[in-house]
Amino acid sequence: MKLAGRILSLAAAAAALALAASPAHADGNVKCDSGPSSSWQPMDKLKKKIWMQDWQLLKSQVEGDCYEVYARTADGMSIEAFFHPVTLEKLVVFRRGKEIYRKPGFGG
Amino acid sequence: MTRKAGPKAGKTLFWLLLALPAIGMISGLARDTVLAMDLLHPSGETAIRLMILAMLPGPLADFFGPSRFLRGWLAIRRNLGVAAFAYALLHLAFYIIDMRLPAAMLGELGLPGIWTGWLALLMMIPPAAISMDRAMRALGRKWKTVQRIVYAALLVALAHWLLLDREWQPAAIHLTPLIVAWSLRLAARFGRRKERALS
Repeated sequence: MKLAGRILSLAAAAAALALAASPAHADGNVKCDSGPSSSWQPMDKLKKKIWMQDWQLLKSQVEGDCYEVYARTADGMSIEAFFHPVTLEKLVVFRRGKEIYRKPGFGG
Repeated sequence: MTRKAGPKAGKTLFWLLLALPAIGMISGLARDTVLAMDLLHPSGETAIRLMILAMLPGPLADFFGPSRFLRGWLAIRRNLGVAAFAYALLHLAFYIIDMRLPAAMLGELGLPGIWTGWLALLMMIPPAAISMDRAMRALGRKWKTVQRIVYAALLVALAHWLLLDREWQPAAIHLTPLIVAWSLRLAARFGRRKERALS
């Protein structure tokens, strides 16, 4: 019982530490405030942009009112990036749930 | 002869049922209709669901007493736990396939969303390794102590899920039945203690 109790306490501490180390998580969905989809640029244009950036595209989709891309960067990082569907600007990039890039001033 | 074949056939059918989601996932990957990264979520979620299913009947039997249904559920509890570990391994296999390079895996080992997954898996190894009857008999009371590591593994696995999903609701929904069951167990224990004090 003592051993299990100790392991449980350690696990609770580890889980708390992991959650505390990533405050960006509680964000939930990214909101791009992109207006009606009729004014969006085609996804293919974004795919070309991704290719030019030297990312290997794994998957692209519409997520809420954003374009979402799963890709591998040139140095092998698995990332999840959100782009504005009208401007095709890169807004937020996550690496395994951790935010590693946010466009300055973007709060969506 | 038929008496022996009955439970054996039932067990085989039960294992086949447990394996069905894995068969679907692996065949999708083999036929190239799905990416390994798309299988990370379903395989991890199945592992957690099976873990929870294995952890529920104990506290429920404490509260409701040993009904036929709960006795049956308790009897398959170990199978559910082993299946949870198998799905956690499958989850790891999909991760390895998705990452391709060991260097890429090492590169993200320090991220909270990743090391929590490794830790949860490591914690599941001791309970899974002693899941057979022989180990149960040999370890006696210690066996249950080792099995309790699963509680810790679940906690870390839920943190892993929360960190990667950026949404707390799915993980919280999965934890709810356990919280209810544990509350009932506590209530039952408290009631029994009160009865003993009064008698």
